Amino acid sequence: MRALILLLATILSAAIARAADEPPMKPLGDVPVMHEEASAAGINSVYDGPFEFFVGGGGAAFDCNGDGYPDLFLAGGKSPAKLYINHSTQGGALRFEERAISPETDRGVLTNVTGAYPLDVDGDGFTDLVVLRVGGNLLLKGGPDCTFTLANSLWNFDPAKAWGTAFTARWEAGQRFPTLAFGYYIDRQAPGAPWGTCEDNALYRPQAGEKPDYSQKTPLSPGFCTLSMLFTDWNRSGLPALRVSNDRQYYRGGAEQLWKVEPGRVPRLFGPADGWRKFSIFGMGIAAADLDGDGYPVYALTSMGDTMLQKLDDDARGDPASAAPVYHDIAFERGATAHRPYTGGDLKPSTGWHSEFADFNNDGLLDLFIAKGNVEQMPDFAAFDPNNLLLGQWNGKFAEAGDAAGIALNKKGRGALIADFNLDGNLDVLVINRGSNVSLFRNLGARREDGGVMPMGNWIEVRLTEKDGNTDAIGATLNVKTGTRVQTRYISVGGGHASGHAGWVHVGLGTAERAELRVTWPDGEQSAPYRVFAGQFVVIGRGAKGAAYWYPGR
Amino acid sequence: MGAGIGTARADEPAWTERAITSHIDFGKVATGGEAAIAGLVARGKELFAAKFTDSDGRGRPKATQAIVPTKRKRGETAGFQRTGGPDASSCASCHNEPLPGGAGDFVANVFVSEGFESADFDSLDPSFSSERNTNSLFGDGLVELLAREMTADLQALREGAVRQASATGKDVDVKLESKGVSFGWLAIKANGMADFSRLEGIDNDLVVRPFSQKGVFTSLRQFTINAMNQHHGMQASERFGVRWTGAHDFDEDGVADELSPGDISAVTAWQATLPMPSVRHDLPGDWQRVAEAGAKAFDGLGCAECHKQTLALKSLVFHDPGPYDAAGTLRAGEVVKSIDIDLAKQPWATRLQRNDKGEWLVPLFADLKRHVIVDEGVAGLGNELMAQRFVERDVFRTAPLWGVASTAPYGHRGDYSTLDDVIRAHGGEGREARDAYIHADAATREGVIAFLKTLVIEDK
Repeated sequence: MRALILLLATILSAAIARAADEPPMKPLGDVPVMHEEASAAGINSVYDGPFEFFVGGGGAAFDCNGDGYPDLFLAGGKSPAKLYINHSTQGGALRFEERAISPETDRGVLTNVTGAYPLDVDGDGFTDLVVLRVGGNLLLKGGPDCTFTLANSLWNFDPAKAWGTAFTARWEAGQRFPTLAFGYYIDRQAPGAPWGTCEDNALYRPQAGEKPDYSQKTPLSPGFCTLSMLFTDWNRSGLPALRVSNDRQYYRGGAEQLWKVEPGRVPRLFGPADGWRKFSIFGMGIAAADLDGDGYPVYALTSMGDTMLQKLDDDARGDPASAAPVYHDIAFERGATAHRPYTGGDLKPSTGWHSEFADFNNDGLLDLFIAKGNVEQMPDFAAFDPNNLLLGQWNGKFAEAGDAAGIALNKKGRGALIADFNLDGNLDVLVINRGSNVSLFRNLGARREDGGVMPMGNWIEVRLTEKDGNTDAIGATLNVKTGTRVQTRYISVGGGHASGHAGWVHVGLGTAERAELRVTWPDGEQSAPYRVFAGQFVVIGRGAKGAAYWYPGR
Repeated sequence: MGAGIGTARADEPAWTERAITSHIDFGKVATGGEAAIAGLVARGKELFAAKFTDSDGRGRPKATQAIVPTKRKRGETAGFQRTGGPDASSCASCHNEPLPGGAGDFVANVFVSEGFESADFDSLDPSFSSERNTNSLFGDGLVELLAREMTADLQALREGAVRQASATGKDVDVKLESKGVSFGWLAIKANGMADFSRLEGIDNDLVVRPFSQKGVFTSLRQFTINAMNQHHGMQASERFGVRWTGAHDFDEDGVADELSPGDISAVTAWQATLPMPSVRHDLPGDWQRVAEAGAKAFDGLGCAECHKQTLALKSLVFHDPGPYDAAGTLRAGEVVKSIDIDLAKQPWATRLQRNDKGEWLVPLFADLKRHVIVDEGVAGLGNELMAQRFVERDVFRTAPLWGVASTAPYGHRGDYSTLDDVIRAHGGEGREARDAYIHADAATREGVIAFLKTLVIEDK
């Protein structure tokens, strides 16, 4: 028996060694050419500052002037946050112009910003901003033509004077306004800080009334130095739970968290009795996507070292009432660990921050973008730590394309905004860097044999709209059917690393010229099917008989 | 095959059972310019007539006929299958009347099923498939050029309206018309939203799709790729290859990259250069006289409202790839240089008349538009149950009538053996002209038939 165990151990070791020696998989499809043009586009925004700004570094991409192009709000850390208006033209080079944030907004409060998420809180059709800060978060009420007013008092929002680092929101059943969840990092005033002094997180539920009223705060205790949180319908119950990713660097006895948040009830943590297994990572960012078309989200969790891809166990599925949140990590088998730099020769572990699934080459397969960068000067982690562009492959794996795509810069990435900034159907990405200007990568298309660029797969971009309250249909699910394949997009706010975007939802279609769309609206109501052609900007209003098309005015 | 444009197998014996012994290199043809065109067209003719074999990659055991690469859920596709395909060894097996590239008899009908969920289906049940008669391809190079120019016109009108609405902040109404064909109206709101409710006979992306009985395919190239897969199980790498499927042998028949972009270009080029149908002038005196009267009656009865005698074309240069194909069909931006075929240099082009603007008058007898062809009273052509590519079951492209005397039977399924029968089957938007025909005197009706019988496909 002993001999057999030794033999098996030898075989296993050899297999691992072979796997380790295998060259990484090369992408088989198109590699997008990502052209860095932040300065040329008119953006000069640096996220920087002392210890409080080693983490954070995010922003928001959203259309604040109704022209369909995503504008930008970028955190500056110790420097004031900045607003950039998008003047790009369709398919052209990116152009932005800085604009002072509305005079009525006290610019002093826009310092110490760590990140932001766009959200139409009051349902007036103008996107508002949830701004994360060190020393008190902000709610900025959006108005016409990119104007903003501070709405903390107006909406009875009394933020904790804490270190804001994470946010997510959802509309609970019967509510006109969203429930807001805030994540906080270290309580710097507590004895022994920063070690073991994590701040509690908080839930703000809207109170009855004609305008948002966030006077009631529900603590989410314990907090474990949260850096990302996301409301997500993990079990297809229609009742999203709150996933919280925490930084083990500073907590004691902490772990990743999943909160059950039922309307009108006090949130409670999932625990071992529910099937939730304790695990600890340097949690920095959460991304969720239905990778396998099975209706269940897979979660990409960034950390220091390995990125995790958490997939719900097969035997934990089924009736949502009895489904258990039991996950296993598939990052290794999918080639998505992204645990060390793929170029540059530094073999120390990576530090991953923003994570987000998106289809950068329009082949109909989701890719995974991870912003990377050393915390500051951590000697045990890679100093040159380029962002990842892990392209989804037809065998279910991911293949690294960051170097070939041109995003492997020597910067300290933090948050990221993935959006189609010039409305050409190709997703671009803006990375907020610590200590240097943002990187703005314009997606030019795939490389052609002569060195030029060429178009990639077909695509559509979709906006869902509702009246009265949840105007952007946060919490909806969009299914896009092409042939036998169904792709899913979750309409959400939160996750990533201190960064979020609102507006067009991009879907790559590969070779399909048409698609059939179905929407599960936030309250669970299913839409009729909508037939659309590729290459279009599609607006689906709740209850509309047909999908409407929109065209950029420039 | 033209010298120097192919990649040949060195070890191929003379008695090979392969139809494809070399692949065309698209780039070499494109850079070869005009000198390479004759060889390309000749190779296209060979491929069109070739009987593909398993050695070429004929068959698709693990893939369906769907136009989007789709694996079978289970089992294998039969080597040949009359309904779901593959159903032919060769393009010319069906497109052969009166010449290769022509139409087909009823026996050559094909079955149009999306093939996503049901790779196999019962051809007797129209809820799974629509049965279609084989179209003629003669003159299709001109047809595609007309469609391209019309698409450009319509999309320019849309762009103008979008810009105007954006600049003025007001809603804009624009009449969509190209080459004298009205496609209705498009409204662009001040906020950029489009209102397609008054669109007529065209998809709301404003791409004129001139091919198939339904008018749902954009280009000869696209149609060729679709048909090669559906009917022969020959998969073009530009759609079924590694770029879009992660596999060189998507259908798992043991043959990788069965058709190169250059091969598809060859078949496209041959089809694009097929002569346009002609008009018989060697007629006995009485036929000539009756036909001339019938031509006038054709207009007078209202047939020419849709079957427009000519459409004016600005350029005869056929660029391959074309400008409006989508991913999965080679696109202009994917190649360094296109293959450019000047159709004006084809011998048959001397038969094209020109208008006072110098435009070429293409005697198509069609409008490249789709129409409802069925109503409650006349519903014979409404014998399909499935919509196709978002186009309702009773809506079809105006059939081009050039060459119609050579392409019986008639109707999208080939249900009608005579021209008189198919005219009488027009309902819907064709109902008024059809009634006028029926209520006309016998001599007038005879004249219309005599006129249509002069429109033939000839080898010249």
